[in-house]
Amino acid sequence: MKPDYNELLEIVSEMGFRLMLSGAEIYRVEESVSRLLRAYGAERGEVFAIPNCIIVSLTSPQGKPMTQIRRMPSHGTDIYLLERYNDLCRRLCRETPPFDQALESMRQIERTHKVYSLPVQLAAYFLGCGMFSLFYGGSPMDGLCGGICGVVIGLCLALTSRLGANLFFKTIAGAAASAFVALALTAAGVGHNSEFIIIGALMALVPGIAFTNAMRDIMAGDMVAGISKAAEALLIGAAIALGTALALGLIRTLTGG
Amino acid sequence: MEAFTYYLPCLYAFLACIGFSLLFNIHGAAGMLICAGGGALGWLVYLLAAPLFHSDITQSFLAALVISAWSEIMARLRRCPVTSYLLVALFPLVPGGGIYYTMEHAMSGETALFLESLLHTLGLAGALAVGVLMVASLARLVTNYQNHRRTLTGGKHP
Repeated sequence: MKPDYNELLEIVSEMGFRLMLSGAEIYRVEESVSRLLRAYGAERGEVFAIPNCIIVSLTSPQGKPMTQIRRMPSHGTDIYLLERYNDLCRRLCRETPPFDQALESMRQIERTHKVYSLPVQLAAYFLGCGMFSLFYGGSPMDGLCGGICGVVIGLCLALTSRLGANLFFKTIAGAAASAFVALALTAAGVGHNSEFIIIGALMALVPGIAFTNAMRDIMAGDMVAGISKAAEALLIGAAIALGTALALGLIRTLTGG
Repeated sequence: MEAFTYYLPCLYAFLACIGFSLLFNIHGAAGMLICAGGGALGWLVYLLAAPLFHSDITQSFLAALVISAWSEIMARLRRCPVTSYLLVALFPLVPGGGIYYTMEHAMSGETALFLESLLHTLGLAGALAVGVLMVASLARLVTNYQNHRRTLTGGKHP
């Protein structure tokens, strides 16, 4: 039985879209989509992805070309979803179930998706940032202050995300808020070294893997994707420095130091 | 006791990575322990390599190699995307301090120091990227070779 190519196109681009939305790398999205196309028997299918767009195109046996473009909204990384969709994609390639069943399993994953509640996330910010303050050489009190600054960053990110701010602004706001709190805690005598506190808290904002993933994409030959991701990583790094400098500069001007 | 305090940062890295693995929505103790173990292992390599190389860029490079290999192996064993583990385990190596000191020097107008720490920070980031890339490319070669072998021995393609 020949598959319905309209539905195939729909399913395949939905899968690519969901993979990318949960933070998959470009090459994983492209590879998964083209495997899926081959598994369902579409010989002439092409896929092209860059960080904010996926294009899937295929030609039906009658020689009629079809294309679908999906625009990516801004998204973070959700490892839980990524693993689930990756598993599903492998299963679809292996078993090639009917389309409505495939779509149903995607919706199933969306329904059973679980995220940590805000208090748990804030506790994670506290643990992560506090430990990094200790890691960079702070005293136990610095670790405590770093944790508090991490919680401030977490609250700040949650608030600005709800307002729909862009990544650059979110990073500046988070960095500035945490630097303010770090300086205030040091001035109050709770923390000892403001620099270790600030560095520890900043680790929640650094574009850690973004830069590495960008290099990976460049090496795989996806120049457009790689360069735009590398530019994003450098911009975020600059935003962190800008936000912190803003807070430090203001405080120093006000206190005349 | 001295040795203990020298290696204490590995424990901090472990706990910090557990915190960050929650932020990337990793569920399940096994996933978290793999991430955190990778982070601690990476820092251990960084510290152990210190007497040999005296250069934090080389140390970071070696640590990135080890973390990356660890994540690739664990991803193979658990049939998961490599990113899941790499993402969090690399965190202790990210030059967060570099960004801060660069900014500090820029603010106080010390151009020479600013450029030096900027280049150093970029060097550290580059060392991480190259370390991860080398292992990823090798892993890719192995997978391709296995697929190739399978199609050759499986041999009956239409």
